[in-house]
Amino acid sequence: MTMAKRNIIALLALVALIQTGSLGAIVYNRLHLLRTGREIVLPVIPVDPRDIFRGDYVRLGYPISSFDSVVTKESPMPAGLSIGSLVYVVIKPDGAAQWKIASLSANYPQAAGADAAVLKGRIANIYDDQAAGVHRVFVNYGIESFFVPEGTGKPLEEQVREHKIETLIALGPDGTAAIKGLVIDGERHLDPPLF
Amino acid sequence: MWGYRRRVGLDVARWKNSGWISANAHDQILADIEGQGGSIHLANVLATLASVLLGFAAISFVAAHWNEIGRLWRLVLLFGLIWLGYGAAGFFYSRNRGGFADAAILFAVAMFGASIMLISQMFHIDGHPPDGILLWGVGALLAGMLLRSNAALALAMVLAVIWGWLEAEHRHSIYWPFLAAWGAITAGFVWQRWTPGLHMSGLALSLFVIFSAALLDRDGGYSFYFVTAIGLAAAAVGIVGERLQPGFPASSSALWHALVAYGALTAFAGLLALQFAINPDLQTFIILAGISLTLLIGLIAWGLSSHNRLALWLGYIGFSIEILSVYAKTAGTLLNTSVLFLVAAIIVAGLAVMAWRLHERETQTPVPS
Repeated sequence: MTMAKRNIIALLALVALIQTGSLGAIVYNRLHLLRTGREIVLPVIPVDPRDIFRGDYVRLGYPISSFDSVVTKESPMPAGLSIGSLVYVVIKPDGAAQWKIASLSANYPQAAGADAAVLKGRIANIYDDQAAGVHRVFVNYGIESFFVPEGTGKPLEEQVREHKIETLIALGPDGTAAIKGLVIDGERHLDPPLF
Repeated sequence: MWGYRRRVGLDVARWKNSGWISANAHDQILADIEGQGGSIHLANVLATLASVLLGFAAISFVAAHWNEIGRLWRLVLLFGLIWLGYGAAGFFYSRNRGGFADAAILFAVAMFGASIMLISQMFHIDGHPPDGILLWGVGALLAGMLLRSNAALALAMVLAVIWGWLEAEHRHSIYWPFLAAWGAITAGFVWQRWTPGLHMSGLALSLFVIFSAALLDRDGGYSFYFVTAIGLAAAAVGIVGERLQPGFPASSSALWHALVAYGALTAFAGLLALQFAINPDLQTFIILAGISLTLLIGLIAWGLSSHNRLALWLGYIGFSIEILSVYAKTAGTLLNTSVLFLVAAIIVAGLAVMAWRLHERETQTPVPS
């Protein structure tokens, strides 16, 4: 085998290694988050389901997905936030199995409090509600889709509409959230372990 | 390349029969063209299409979320297919089947994309969809650059366009980082000296300029004047560049030809938007239609004189679109119909000039002796 051919085979192996290695790193990080992350349970509100390239899924909406920021002269917009930017959302318990947004910031909040949880999200939209004098900020946390086998989404959607479902979230120290499973009528249904 | 080989084949056969070149020179010229590489064989095209189909099969398989195979085994299967693709590429390289190797690399990159989708499905990662496209595009670019695969670079450009478009749509503003990705992939095309890739780059950049203007267009379409100006400037750079440095880069005029053609395409898109999307007054409309037709006739003339078939076709197609659009907009009143006749007169006069120039050139072509 010539030197050139040996080189191309080494390069092929390198590309395959980098690609599968980067994918493996994503899988490892996700598994680590699901195993070690702090568990919180979020109530779910119904949102119209849609189908995309990755197959059937149920769309999950959360009461903490929107936040009203009061418009003032000094602060016409939430500081440092714009559509598409990262945002850290501090949520605090609000009654049984309920959470409400305490604050929003562009940087990780250092003093959130022991009972609070911090979620990292991305600003999906900012709606200027002039009548109410507020900016309604919509946030995606990356936990809005629950993928299901083809043709099995309908019963789950019904349960979401009947408010029988909550989402079990694993929360990393940097605020990354991952769906660990669903709580249906008070019963935990975790995704089967990868191995 | 097909057309070029066929034309040269016919020409050298004619020259040999006329006794202008020896049989040995005839064979050497044909062997040189065959050995230049980059030729397209039906087998390679079919292998590439098979890879595209296999990619879609894998993505559909992921989307079906078939639970009969466990999540881990689905992941192992796709990772295995990535390695199988690169392994097959190595096998084909070792047997000097570069076209098949390229198809195998494309297959592996498609499996990389399917794996990204599978992982996001497995862990219900909704996140920010353009991020997944970006990761796939980076993987394709890596394969394209390290393995010098044209197919992988082409896929990287397609993914970069989708990524830039999704980001711009999401932010409702121009997404400048697209230009960095575009530059990196275009550098790959230039490095590979792959002309179809340069066309992809030209088209992608034209789309970026036009789409960005559409995003900014909140004040009566003024951004489309910039689109037209940018397009004209690019075309002018192409024309001047070919005059000053005709063999740059790598003894080819492909870069300059692409600049002229896609610059003109961008300028024409801007002019179309100004004429038909924002409803200007009649006088402005006539001026814009005149500029458009002049541009298109100029593009056709330049395409003929510089043997740039792309410019020629773009000119013809643009010409048809312009005429039909003008007709649809002006037919109705007598005044508007008179504008239509005026436009038609400009077109016919332009065609007459072109035909005359063509005739002049043909009669002045020296006959080899």
